[in-house]
Amino acid sequence: MHARFVLVPLAALAAVAPPAIHAATYLTVAQAQALMFPGQRLTPDFLDLSTTQIAAIERDAQVKVLTPQVRAWRTSGGGWFLADQVYGKSELIAYAVALDAAGAVQRVEILSYQEAHGGEVRLPAWRAQFIGKHHGDAMHLDEDIRNISGATISCRHVTEGVRRLLSTWALVLAPQAHARG
Amino acid sequence: MRVAEVERARPLLGTFVSMRVGGLPPARAQRAIDLAFAEVQAVQRRMSFHDPDSELSQLNRQAARRAVTVHPQTWRVLARALRIAAASGGSFDPSVAPRLVALGVLPAPAAELAPDPAADWRDVRLLPGFRVRFRRPLWLDLGGIAKGHAVDRALARLRRCGATTACVDAGGDLRLFGPEEEAVALRGPRGRPRPVVWLRDGALASSAVEPEDDALSGRVLDGRRGWALAPGRRVTVAAAQAWLADALTKVVLADPPQARDVLARCAAQAWLHTPDGGWHRLPR
Repeated sequence: MHARFVLVPLAALAAVAPPAIHAATYLTVAQAQALMFPGQRLTPDFLDLSTTQIAAIERDAQVKVLTPQVRAWRTSGGGWFLADQVYGKSELIAYAVALDAAGAVQRVEILSYQEAHGGEVRLPAWRAQFIGKHHGDAMHLDEDIRNISGATISCRHVTEGVRRLLSTWALVLAPQAHARG
Repeated sequence: MRVAEVERARPLLGTFVSMRVGGLPPARAQRAIDLAFAEVQAVQRRMSFHDPDSELSQLNRQAARRAVTVHPQTWRVLARALRIAAASGGSFDPSVAPRLVALGVLPAPAAELAPDPAADWRDVRLLPGFRVRFRRPLWLDLGGIAKGHAVDRALARLRRCGATTACVDAGGDLRLFGPEEEAVALRGPRGRPRPVVWLRDGALASSAVEPEDDALSGRVLDGRRGWALAPGRRVTVAAAQAWLADALTKVVLADPPQARDVLARCAAQAWLHTPDGGWHRLPR
């Protein structure tokens, strides 16, 4: 196992002092829909929750509802696609949940992730200084350092978000769909 | 120039698992990632301490009474855990779960027999036919080693699918391969020089003993003494496989001088950050 360790002096990073952001985009909503429900037609079923519905969902899920807007799609196979966001201590996570016709979670995919930490390294910006200083020409000079080890991020907020969406489905989406036939 | 890559992430193993794959047409890349996520889910199903239906939970409930047959993968991960426990003289010990439960890091499982406080990794017997038997009641937690194993399985799957570059990252455990070296930034203290590790085909695992007020997940136990380690140390281990890198982080945190020998035998390297602000390379 060959690995090399380098300490990058702060001076090399001084030019990029502003608040750091680690961000990743994995899937667009359309890509996630195509992956989770291949070959199916998805029809938007967006709605705004009433204050009564919000209270009921919060009671049921034991999670705070952050926005009244629900971004839901019905699929031609009877399932549901829900796009949502959660806020962690310092991160914003967009994710999508696929439910089958019975409301069971089929899959959860992270759409995008953005972490803001004052004082952390802003990875995309420091590549030029860093690579120029510490590595030879053979390196991919145009690449970002996209890998971080030790960034143990709790997925608790997503877990809570999924619980909230399941309550939203059971208390609002499914009854409305049923009423409409 | 890097080939087009596809990257995805899902919440699994109590963290975010992200995967990046290159060298495949988009549809095949997505299919490969789906298969690799399925590997991770299979490991979670078998080896989760939190899931009462996992094979691990079944062992914790029953293996003190009778030999329990498990999936060959689970058996082999257990064998590896016991190997590292033996090599480290028990400073890595997969049977510390009762103390982690007492600390509130892990939920208490529904066990018929309370764990024997005197039990340790030496009471786990691996029998032919992928059977496991405990000599005394104990609770196993494969935590990090299972997470590393899941990363290894996922990466192997991406490789078999024809990827020319791939990276799998599960909250601290990362493994990658490709034709060129890649840089991995390590989390370090603020206001200090930034640590970066370059590797081409291998695994990195990072582990830290966080300050008391900073989340329970940062608790690390010394298997031999059974107490939580003093905060302030963080370590990154580079090894050929992620399961090994993860297990070795615990060995280094518990006892850096002793870890030198274990690291050398496992062809691994570690960088330890101590509260005085220095980075130390092990073995030297």
